[in-house]
Amino acid sequence: MRFRFCGDLDCPDWVLAEMSTLARMSSVKMKLLCVQVIKDLLDEGIDYDKVSKLTSDAKFESGDIKASIAVLSFILSSAAKHDVDSDSLSSELQQLGLPKEHTTGLCKSYEDKHSALQEKLREISLRLGRLEAVNWRVDYTLSSSELKQVNEPTVQLKLQAQDPETDSTQTTVVTITADKFRVLLTVNR
Amino acid sequence: MLLVLSEEHNEHLGSFLVRIVGESGRIAVQFLKKGSNPKIYEGAARKLNVWSGSVQHGLEGLMYLLTESCKLTISEEDFQDSVLVLGFSEELTELLLQLYLENRKEIRQILSKPAPSLPHYHSLEWRLDVQLSSRPLRHQLKPTVTLKLHLEDGAGRSARVLQTDPATLQHLIDELERALAELKSSHCRRILRNIQ
Repeated sequence: MRFRFCGDLDCPDWVLAEMSTLARMSSVKMKLLCVQVIKDLLDEGIDYDKVSKLTSDAKFESGDIKASIAVLSFILSSAAKHDVDSDSLSSELQQLGLPKEHTTGLCKSYEDKHSALQEKLREISLRLGRLEAVNWRVDYTLSSSELKQVNEPTVQLKLQAQDPETDSTQTTVVTITADKFRVLLTVNR
Repeated sequence: MLLVLSEEHNEHLGSFLVRIVGESGRIAVQFLKKGSNPKIYEGAARKLNVWSGSVQHGLEGLMYLLTESCKLTISEEDFQDSVLVLGFSEELTELLLQLYLENRKEIRQILSKPAPSLPHYHSLEWRLDVQLSSRPLRHQLKPTVTLKLHLEDGAGRSARVLQTDPATLQHLIDELERALAELKSSHCRRILRNIQ
């Protein structure tokens, strides 16, 4: 069975198995749990005390709590990843056996935060070596130990970039003569 | 197989353990899991009215006894015979045996960790790009896959950035699947059957 929210692949077995766990909660509590999970996906911090209060009615053990958070995270991030609209998500979840009230609650939260989730996923996509800052300075050399009258302008560039492997900021300072700098600018136009 | 415990161990264990076996057993297991906490030595010494050094020696002796027994996974009878050498009462020996049996698996797990290891897999990020043109050549269509392999090495994390075209990636996948399939060959199965 192919599901759009799984990227047109089969739904993983563990997701199917956890549907019954989610059904044990009331639909209102599940909607509030969705809100917490979305906050976690958007890196706003998840409040574990609230989560345990929400799941205490359904008498979830710690394994069940972890499983329900994991399955909700998977469904929401996978649906945002594959850009699924909330109606298709709703019908697919009902096919998997999630009761109707739970599905409507989940899809409403998904629809509210759909674009925020996609924005966040775009941000955390792999990017190598970000350029963080560029500083420049133009100097004019009057003379040097080699030649009495030099009269040459030079450009000093300070580039701060993120090293792709260690994620720390690396600073590179380059000095360019006027001609080379002109070449650099024209070629990159 | 019998454990050989030195004279010092006998002295330290004997004098201290007669007092509070259950409690010290629990503390010793806790120390094995999380590392020793010198404050506990001071607190216990004050309560028992002894020198804190003897508390420390006693607990360390108990930890040594447990780690050595777990290292060799000695049977109950051997454990009892080894402890008999120390000359404790029946009750004490019984308590030590219980302590050993209950925590055996956990301690074995803790002991298995510090073995020297290579950096191992933590996570993998990937990205699919298409190069449309570059400075020397316009109107291209070149797909590339960029991978960032996150590795974990006991203390720290490191990352490796790799780039490949889809054909090489497919070849890589085929090679790795061939490596996995090797596990199912009859030669490997025979060996696994004989070990288990």
